[in-house]
Amino acid sequence: MTCVISCRALTKWFGATAALDGLDLDVAEGEIHGFLGPNGAGKTVTIRILLGLIRPDGGTATLFGDDPWADAVTLHRRLAYVPGDTNLWPNLTGGEIIDLLGQLRGGLDPARRTELIDRFDLDPRKKARAYSKGNRQKVALVAALASGAPLLILDEPTAGLDPLMEAVFQDTVLDTVAEGRTVLLSSHVLAEVERLCQRVTIIRKGRTVETGSLAEMRLVSRTTITAELAGDGGSLASLPGVHDLRVDGPRVMFEVDHEALAAVAGRLGELGLRSLVSSPPTLEELFLRHYGDELEHGGVDHPVVAPRLEADP
Amino acid sequence: MTATVRLVRLILRRDRLRLPAWLVGLVGLMAVSAQSIHSLYGTDEAARAYVATVGDNPALVMFAGPGYGFDRPTSGVVLVNETMLWLALAAGLMSVFLVNRHTRAEEESERADLIRSTVVGRHAPVVAALAVTAGVNVAVALGVAAVTLAFGFPVAGTVALAAAIGLVGMAFGATTAVAAQVAGTGRGAVGLGSALLGLAFVVRGVGDVRAPALSWLTPFGWGIGVRAYAGERWWTLAGLVGFIGVGTATALALSARRDLGRGLLPERPGPAGAGAVTLHPVGLAWRLQRGTVLGWAVGVFLAGLVYGSVADDVETMMADNPQLADYLAQIAGASLAQAYLATAIRMLGLVVGGFAVASALRNRSEEAAGYAELLLAAPLSRWRWGLAHLAVTLVASIGLVTLGGLGTGLAYAQTSGDAGQLVTMTMAALASAPAVLVLAGIATLLFGWVPHATPAAWAALALFAVVQLFATVLRLPHWVTLLSPFGHVPSVPAEPWRILPLVLLGLLAAALLGVGLVGFRRRDLAAA
Ligand SMILES: Nc1ncnc2c1ncn2[C@@H]1O[C@H](COP(=O)(O)OP(=O)(O)O)[C@@H](O)[C@H]1O
Ligand SMILES: [Mg+2]
Repeated sequence: MTCVISCRALTKWFGATAALDGLDLDVAEGEIHGFLGPNGAGKTVTIRILLGLIRPDGGTATLFGDDPWADAVTLHRRLAYVPGDTNLWPNLTGGEIIDLLGQLRGGLDPARRTELIDRFDLDPRKKARAYSKGNRQKVALVAALASGAPLLILDEPTAGLDPLMEAVFQDTVLDTVAEGRTVLLSSHVLAEVERLCQRVTIIRKGRTVETGSLAEMRLVSRTTITAELAGDGGSLASLPGVHDLRVDGPRVMFEVDHEALAAVAGRLGELGLRSLVSSPPTLEELFLRHYGDELEHGGVDHPVVAPRLEADP
Repeated sequence: MTATVRLVRLILRRDRLRLPAWLVGLVGLMAVSAQSIHSLYGTDEAARAYVATVGDNPALVMFAGPGYGFDRPTSGVVLVNETMLWLALAAGLMSVFLVNRHTRAEEESERADLIRSTVVGRHAPVVAALAVTAGVNVAVALGVAAVTLAFGFPVAGTVALAAAIGLVGMAFGATTAVAAQVAGTGRGAVGLGSALLGLAFVVRGVGDVRAPALSWLTPFGWGIGVRAYAGERWWTLAGLVGFIGVGTATALALSARRDLGRGLLPERPGPAGAGAVTLHPVGLAWRLQRGTVLGWAVGVFLAGLVYGSVADDVETMMADNPQLADYLAQIAGASLAQAYLATAIRMLGLVVGGFAVASALRNRSEEAAGYAELLLAAPLSRWRWGLAHLAVTLVASIGLVTLGGLGTGLAYAQTSGDAGQLVTMTMAALASAPAVLVLAGIATLLFGWVPHATPAAWAALALFAVVQLFATVLRLPHWVTLLSPFGHVPSVPAEPWRILPLVLLGLLAAALLGVGLVGFRRRDLAAA
């Protein structure tokens, strides 16, 4: 499997603050890769480095195996970008801007352009100054999706879209990937990432704290168990891999490490199991775990790194 | 008007460098002028000699004033003649920029919505912008008065001079507040505001040469009409105050009837797709700068026509005053009309320098607004992107200079009956093109290497203008005038052509542009 995007130990300083502090990111061909992190984590800075708009202070970044700074122009023939804050020339119409960006990227398919304008319900005759934030974003999205570029880099592309348009966006992106294109999607909308992305990279304070497929991340994470028992659940606490046990009469609630699940299930049987609910971690829980951590300790101690792509089946 | 005071404080905080820079620049200019005039024309005899040489010269009337008090010259009369119009013009420019910056231009950012969503009265932003502008004009007036008094100029005349400068400045603040309500964009408002300023400047000049009644249509006429140091007529100041009041009231009335972020002029839908022109980077740059360029073209051409049409009066004047003609013929080796035309064309060159700076800085404003990011993330190299706007800058600057010369030549050819003047004046105007391009080069150099310091390009233009306009009165040594690219431009048609300096200026401009773009290629894209 080939890596379309590969970043190793990227650092970027703005004055005395480190925007990136050893960031790693790998995006494989043909996948939709979720790029997650709270505000100010460094997602946009990473993307601007990948676009050759700014230069990293340390580490390496490659795009299709080439240097995004030195080979910016040739690389840009193979990608389309939607910025987080889409600022458009106020006196040009949406249609003109779509054509302009499309033409610069080597032309766009007129049928696809019409179809996308239709799907996103965009009025291409309006001047950009008359568009709302969501509509400006649609202009950039239509221009990017209508291009034939094999790589899409989307920086929080749905931040201004209404739920209806968000659904249109998700369907369109899934179509795109069905054509074999690759997408890097930076987002805070976890439900969106959960629906679209096979793999995600979670960053915090300019560092990668977790990367891998969602399925693998769930494997290395804890499952939440709620059960009703005939016997006394208090003894569960002594089992390895059980955390945060709460006993409320016959009801017990706890989290259990994936590898301890079988042993714990056996023990629950011995204790006279009456009912059982087991929920795998949601992306939100995965995400919050890192930041809950941060609230407690005020820093990253041991980043949890799931098995990398190379180990993927 | 709730929260006006808080908005005033916000403006003062945001402009904590900008406002003192204007203040120091204007007052400093007055200080050196007052010092120089005090030492050169301190005696009435010296002042009489001044009047004998410059008096009655229409070229100077056009660019200085009607010469109130030339019948009984004093150093104060000289001071007014040399400084008043230019300082009032500078104060006017300052007010145009300031008012637009904090009204119409500000509305283009989402900040304005944010501010308006808080407990802020509908009129508060306009009132706050005007209040700050008024405050700065008062400060300029006080500073001008202080430095002038320090060199022993009479009190009454000094107060009249300083107050008139401040009030003329503020008058253009008020007209810009109205323009800000009418225009569709901040760029449009500043264009309209400065066009009114330029129009007033030219009309006042023509009025004083030809038809004094015209001068009173402009704030400049009322300001100079106070006759500082020449039997003050204080009521003209009241006229200016009234003008400012009417302008402010109009702006407030209009602002109450208008949506935030929109002008009063209606918005029409545009094309659903891009034409061939817009699709090319240069075409896009042209499309984005088109309105500005066309506005300037009309302005420069009309100014040329006006200046050219007055030139014939110079010849008439010469017939009336043979001594003066002899004198000027001796020093310049050229006719009075030619000397005047050379001055007029040089002025137009400086004015087009303003266009060149603004246009070359378009690269920076596109970058700061985030538009550059969209294009540079496409397969468009930084060279091509940067050169696209500069191509418009270069072609339009040369075109504007030519148009100014064409206007001057057309009018002068018509009044003098010598068709050849058309070519002579157009060529003469072209001589300042390389100097204009050097300004574009300076702006690009700053853009490439220190993008946050690009306003310094305006400081360079201001410096060159001061060197140009005040060289004589300040008795600047020759080498100082050579610091300005305009100091190397031969004063055709009064002087013979010298090609070498022009070629060197052209090469300098090319080098500055090239080095600037190299810097831009090497640096991070920087948002505002
Ligand atoms: N041009 C800049 N100058 C100074 N600091 C910057 C600049 N761009 C980004 N930063 C800082 O870098 C950090 C990462 O920002 P960013 O990548 O925009 O975050 P996000 O993950 O929300 O996109 C932030 O702390 C931000 O303040
Ligand atoms: Mg961001």
